[in-house]
Amino acid sequence: MFKKQYMYVLFIALILLLAACSNESSETEEGNDTTTETENESEESVSEETASDVEQVIKIANDQEPAGLDPHKTPAASSIRVYSKIYEGLVTFDENMEVEGQLAESWEQPDDTTYLFNLIEGVQFHNGREMTAEDVKYSFERILDEETASHIASYFAGIESIEVLGDYQVQFKLAEPDATFLSNLTHSGAVIVPQEVVEENGDLQQVAVGTGPFVFEEWVPDNSVTLTKNENYYLDGIPKLNRIEYYTMLEEASRLSAIRTGEIDMTTVNAQSAELLSGQEGVEIKDYQSLEYSYVGFNVEHEILSDVKVRQALSLATNRQEIVDIAWKGEGLVTGPIAPSMADWSIDVEAHELYSNDVDKAKELLAEAGYADGFDITITTASSYPDMVDTAQLLQQQWKEIGVNAEIQQVEWGEYIDIWSNTSADILVGRNGSGSDPDRAMNYFFHTEGSANVWNFSSDEYDTLVEEARRTIDLDARKEIYVEAQNLLLELSPNLFMVSPKNYVAVRDSVVDYVPYAHSTEDLDEVFKK
Amino acid sequence: MFTYVIRRILMLVPVLFGVSVLIFLVMRIIPGDVAQTILGTDATPEALQQLREDFGLNLPLHIQYFNWMSGVLTLDFGESMRTGKEILPDILSRFTVTFELTLISALIAWIIAIPMGIIAAMKRNSNTDFGVRIVSLLGVSFPNFALATIIILVLALVFSYSPPVGYVGFFEDPFKNLEIMIIPAIVMGTSMAGAVMRMTRSSVLEILMQDFIRTIRAKGAKERVVIFQHALKNAMIPILTIIGLQVGTLLGGAVIVEQIFSLPGLGQLVLTAINQRDFMVVQGSVLFIAFIFVLVNLLIDILYAYIDPRISYK
Amino acid sequence: MRQFIKRLYKDKVGLLGAIGILLVIFIAIFAPVIAPYSPDEMFTAHALEGPSGEFLLGTDEFGRDIFSRIIYGAQVSLQVGLIAVGIGASLGLIFGLIAGYFQGKTDQIIMRIMDVFFAFPDILLALTIVAVLGPSVVNTMVAIGIVFTPVFTRIVRGAVIGVKENEYITNAVAIGVSPFKIVFKHITPNIMAPFIVQITLALSGAILTEASLSFLGLGVQPPNPSWGGMLDASRTYMEFAPWTIIFPTVAIVLTIFCFNLLGDSLRDILDPKLNKE
Repeated sequence: MFKKQYMYVLFIALILLLAACSNESSETEEGNDTTTETENESEESVSEETASDVEQVIKIANDQEPAGLDPHKTPAASSIRVYSKIYEGLVTFDENMEVEGQLAESWEQPDDTTYLFNLIEGVQFHNGREMTAEDVKYSFERILDEETASHIASYFAGIESIEVLGDYQVQFKLAEPDATFLSNLTHSGAVIVPQEVVEENGDLQQVAVGTGPFVFEEWVPDNSVTLTKNENYYLDGIPKLNRIEYYTMLEEASRLSAIRTGEIDMTTVNAQSAELLSGQEGVEIKDYQSLEYSYVGFNVEHEILSDVKVRQALSLATNRQEIVDIAWKGEGLVTGPIAPSMADWSIDVEAHELYSNDVDKAKELLAEAGYADGFDITITTASSYPDMVDTAQLLQQQWKEIGVNAEIQQVEWGEYIDIWSNTSADILVGRNGSGSDPDRAMNYFFHTEGSANVWNFSSDEYDTLVEEARRTIDLDARKEIYVEAQNLLLELSPNLFMVSPKNYVAVRDSVVDYVPYAHSTEDLDEVFKK
Repeated sequence: MFTYVIRRILMLVPVLFGVSVLIFLVMRIIPGDVAQTILGTDATPEALQQLREDFGLNLPLHIQYFNWMSGVLTLDFGESMRTGKEILPDILSRFTVTFELTLISALIAWIIAIPMGIIAAMKRNSNTDFGVRIVSLLGVSFPNFALATIIILVLALVFSYSPPVGYVGFFEDPFKNLEIMIIPAIVMGTSMAGAVMRMTRSSVLEILMQDFIRTIRAKGAKERVVIFQHALKNAMIPILTIIGLQVGTLLGGAVIVEQIFSLPGLGQLVLTAINQRDFMVVQGSVLFIAFIFVLVNLLIDILYAYIDPRISYK
Repeated sequence: MRQFIKRLYKDKVGLLGAIGILLVIFIAIFAPVIAPYSPDEMFTAHALEGPSGEFLLGTDEFGRDIFSRIIYGAQVSLQVGLIAVGIGASLGLIFGLIAGYFQGKTDQIIMRIMDVFFAFPDILLALTIVAVLGPSVVNTMVAIGIVFTPVFTRIVRGAVIGVKENEYITNAVAIGVSPFKIVFKHITPNIMAPFIVQITLALSGAILTEASLSFLGLGVQPPNPSWGGMLDASRTYMEFAPWTIIFPTVAIVLTIFCFNLLGDSLRDILDPKLNKE
């Protein structure tokens, strides 16, 4: 303990030295004085307001600049958090991940391939026009239109026809039974947009007109996005906030400092910062187990990695708990292909043989595969994610024990995406989202035809299982199939599934009623400030 | 003089042409696919193909270049591939941010560095000289990002202070604007000061060594008079040059400080665009930065020629 | 040479810089002897421990010994500095000599190309080069080298033009000495002063640029112990474990500082205009 304090003294001394350097001239000092003065003033004015009536404005730091606001075209998380306040879909998830109605009041399923939705009457777009069944039809046709180049087209490829049965009734016909259809409808991109606004602007990247609780006001690039209260929202008393202001702050250090001093009310932080803030007065840390997980992907056509024994050996040589402890500060769960936060869809992996970190067994398998002396390989990862780089470095050390010499190649994001989509790396450390339905984690990433199966992985047995699961509407039967499929996937190890991290949101204690869930990380409908 | 200026302006054309070709090619050689980066892991191959066609990326290279250039020449830099925003207005609004930051940093640097340089030169090889040089060179030796993060942390922990969030322009709210700018400017100013101090010191030294100053001194003029009336005036030229060079470099080089302090400047724009392979934005902004850079240096050269008539306009 | 050392000795600032640089070189050469551990060895049970007898300067988030990493980091930094500046200086010398000696069209073409690179913002140029070539130690050095080329070219060219006017050169040309010989025997030795000064300053610039590239995720690849990389990685931990950032900062700042001191002093010493006593 003493040493830590000693270090702080040294640290401060270093700073003072620096300050001394830059304060050589009197001019700078004057500058500093004015700064403190203005700051005091603003603090006073804030406290006066707090005394009388709290301004219902929440300031949120966004760690990335939104990439555009079109919900049908933009998958970036920084965009989703903004446009999901503006737009709404037919259905959504409640806090237990059960599907509930949003713009659809109710729905029926006359047969396995038909869905009939009854819309809430009198819902208005922010431009004042009423939202009707025609808008629903238009929105999904826009998603499916190739010219839109929508990122979620694949989710709805099974739609055969959409029919407007009345102003408030719309019917979807599917080509075959699809257990994922309803949960796919909860996707942040599957929202209803007004046709006239799209046509007027070409797309919705710079404008936003939806039916949601907040209205888009302004987007100042690399600076801020402002949303205001939708006064005509169809639910009484919602939203409670008058304004949401998002500020783009790329640096963790800047966000940390701003939440500490109260310049902002809310921000996502990493595990390290969360620990630092846990004792901080005025700040609360909210956490939730995320839907994401980190993985180690193998190019299964690679000369060495094509042997399943090699992949299993690498899985055995991996100490996943150590990765949780170091890359995630101990706050994360070892996971299989479906993240633990997907409740009972996921299996308990702790007991699985390949997760036992049995180095002797790993060596044995490697010898059986003909690599008793190990081999050389390259691990590729993205420099923009410190946890991925940490994971790569830990794997490098852990695999050394079975004679595998890995070299790390970290690349910047644009190139990383390219390497991912072309499978041009032997081994890739990355991160996946489990999505809203287990079908995504299973079918989409590992089916032979799955559009995100970049690993060249193919197993007939596995394909049959996930296809069957997709068609199986009965919940329990479907879960059973996924248990079998997950175990098979672990056995074949086209990827090593690593850690599902906890996510953290730091909130000022003036913010009331904010609770994040894995599938709804920033619901501000009922949030207010005290 | 007039023909000299015209000649110099004409010389900018091949340079800017070179920059445009270079950045255009680099953006096409660089690994990465804008469509995939935009649409993420969910995209279908058809959607990717559609997007590439929308951007005209399937056209032959020379056509792509020609289309881009004919736009640029009519001041139409095109639209951002990612956000669909018009590029030129965006560049201009960010330029004001970077320009202000550069200007304030430069001011801070000059205010510290020029007097220090003069003092060091006057007392050459004394302890004052050594002290001044050591302090100002220490400033240049700090990686910007380390200095910036440390300052942010100390301000928050020790003084419970963090710069206000959300950039506002100077004319909207001058006080808030300056409050936002001052810390980043100090970080950048410290690293500029060293070079300016060094140049000031050696220019003043050089002048002090010259015969005419020796004569003035021999005539018994006061030291201060010598420095201010004669030496400094003559030393201004090289100092001006280094300042021009710095201002030019900083315009594009404030990337890191802008990122750490969340300033919506030009560097930030280019960096994000490179990561996202938003070709059009990268091309447009790099060309713009290069343009400003050559322009600043041209102005300095002309000023140089104006101050010092000995330079031939050949 | 004696004159030079005497002057350096008189300028205490330069002397300080020279001693510091020699020390860093010494550390880099004898790193395997000085460092108690391998720079990559992880003692995960000891992650983020403060300085102690076992780990002199504490450990990082993987439990790697920071002292050992800093010692080996001297190798990486010097390597990056020397090779990058080597590339920039050699290219600059060649282009500068050609442009300065032949002048005319050749000069125009070379200098306009240099202007193109010069007008490119430094960090962005390095960034794009690394992105095109793929990040690795070698490519980082190449990128920084290319970024530095235009400055060297300008300086060499300017000096050559200055020297060329001298009588002994015009005489040599008149009696038909080959251009090759004139350039290497008569011109090169006479432009060394500004060239050497620029090399010293560029060395500090190269180490700083590597650090900036590390911040942007494109520096030396992990787990290689580059100081810039250590600095960047430790920013997350600086509050829990200030030693993870203090010591690499001190190492990098002091090294760059020494190069700057020496460069500043050399400029003083080697500039004839400043030394006519």
